[in-house]
Amino acid sequence: MELLFQFLSNTGYYLADYRQIIMIVVGTVFVYLGTAKEYEPLLLVPIGFGILVGNVPFFKGFGLGIYESNSVLHYLYFGVTTGLYPSIVFLGLGAMTDFSSLLARPILMLLGAAAQMGIFFTLLGALALGFLPKEAASIAIIGGADGPTSIFLTAKLAPHLIGPIAIAAYSYMALIPVIQPPIMRLLTTRKERIIHMPELREVSKKEKVVFPAVGVLLCCFLAPASIPLLGTFFFGNFLKECGVADRLAQTARTAIIDTATIFLGFTVGASTQGDVFLTAKSIGIFFLGAVAFSIATASGVIFAKIMNLFLKDKINPLLGAAGVSAVPGSAREVHLVGQSEDPTNYLLMHAMACNSSGVIGSAICAGILWSFMIVL
Amino acid sequence: MYGLEAISAHNGWAMALAGALIVFSGLVVLWAVISQLHKILKIWDKKQPLLPEDLDPDIEDEPEDAPLISLPKELPSDINEVAKLYKPLIDEIGDTFYLSSLYAIAKKNEFPHPHITLSAFRECEIMIPHGDGVFSWNQPEENEKG
Repeated sequence: MELLFQFLSNTGYYLADYRQIIMIVVGTVFVYLGTAKEYEPLLLVPIGFGILVGNVPFFKGFGLGIYESNSVLHYLYFGVTTGLYPSIVFLGLGAMTDFSSLLARPILMLLGAAAQMGIFFTLLGALALGFLPKEAASIAIIGGADGPTSIFLTAKLAPHLIGPIAIAAYSYMALIPVIQPPIMRLLTTRKERIIHMPELREVSKKEKVVFPAVGVLLCCFLAPASIPLLGTFFFGNFLKECGVADRLAQTARTAIIDTATIFLGFTVGASTQGDVFLTAKSIGIFFLGAVAFSIATASGVIFAKIMNLFLKDKINPLLGAAGVSAVPGSAREVHLVGQSEDPTNYLLMHAMACNSSGVIGSAICAGILWSFMIVL
Repeated sequence: MYGLEAISAHNGWAMALAGALIVFSGLVVLWAVISQLHKILKIWDKKQPLLPEDLDPDIEDEPEDAPLISLPKELPSDINEVAKLYKPLIDEIGDTFYLSSLYAIAKKNEFPHPHITLSAFRECEIMIPHGDGVFSWNQPEENEKG
């Protein structure tokens, strides 16, 4: 009988805490949104299920929890805390990315730079709210709207915030259709939204082969701390474009990125244990994340309008919203908003150019912030 | 410490300003370089070939670079008929493909306004999206039979 009571006192039913119940509800909502509503299912399903697993109450000391040094989950989490998974995701992302539209219209790269302003505004906001500099930098990078980059920088600067920052970054990426269109409409007139972009010129194979080599050298010389992200990103793209390593490129953009995404999402979800996740800091991070993402979107749109003051061939300012690096969600949203005004307006390829530039821009920002924090 | 005092104490203004300037200047330099890239490569081409195919000037005349089909002067108004014209391109790239691949091959074969046509294919569910720019071809004849 004593054995039975002892067993029962070690079950999740007995050990359950209200914070874990709250997180299980949050996880269930993520899984529901991912499966039933198909909101970013490749992200929300692993994260949501990870939240469920990470919040099952357990007896501390058995080596079960993600924060216990000898647990299986802890070993899987190693890829997050070292920045390994984000780096692998960037390899696959590079092998998926087609830079043709960016090479055909390089000026769109400036919109990717402008959209990074959200990061630096949020850095100030986070410092003002009392976060320490390393925490503030990790929160600010949410403005880049890039999950792996946010996780990478947070793992390096403020590992105790990985859970809330990752959840905030991925949540806002899934909420792109809700957050971005009102900002785009607010900051543009109908006349601007119906601006048609010219067809893109044909880009030669040689340009596409040379670009990753030029890109990695220029970006990583400027911000060497972004090598773990941009090094693999441009390497993946070179595999795709060089034409002699198709098998490697194919593996990088399918099996490798999928494996890394599964473990990244699952372990980040599992890291949101109620007792460490439900804090006042997490609420502050969610608030600042929304601010960062909104400012990033607005910065891109406003900068496109400023560019139009000087350009002969006007740019559709909606494209500025695709300067955040949420690929391809924000590009798709720009295209849809453009089409809602004029169904013959086809902005997707141009928006993808801004999106690609945003990926590069946010990785450079991560490198810059990391470098700044090293000297602090 | 909170507010402006905290920003100043942690050197926030300098970090934000310097960070924004660095990322902007980095991407401006990259823009400047890639906007001249095709011109540089043209000059380079005149001097020496870069890729193996450049060694053989006849390669451009090979049948695989020739258009896959001959097109009518105007595309038919029926989207299913247009889809039939695109079928040889689908056979070339496979039933599951990247949107960018279909767009590129359509442009190469001089199909008029491929972006509008591809958009119409999506709306008519002739192209089924699978996420991340991957689509599969849903042959219109099969739809009608189904």
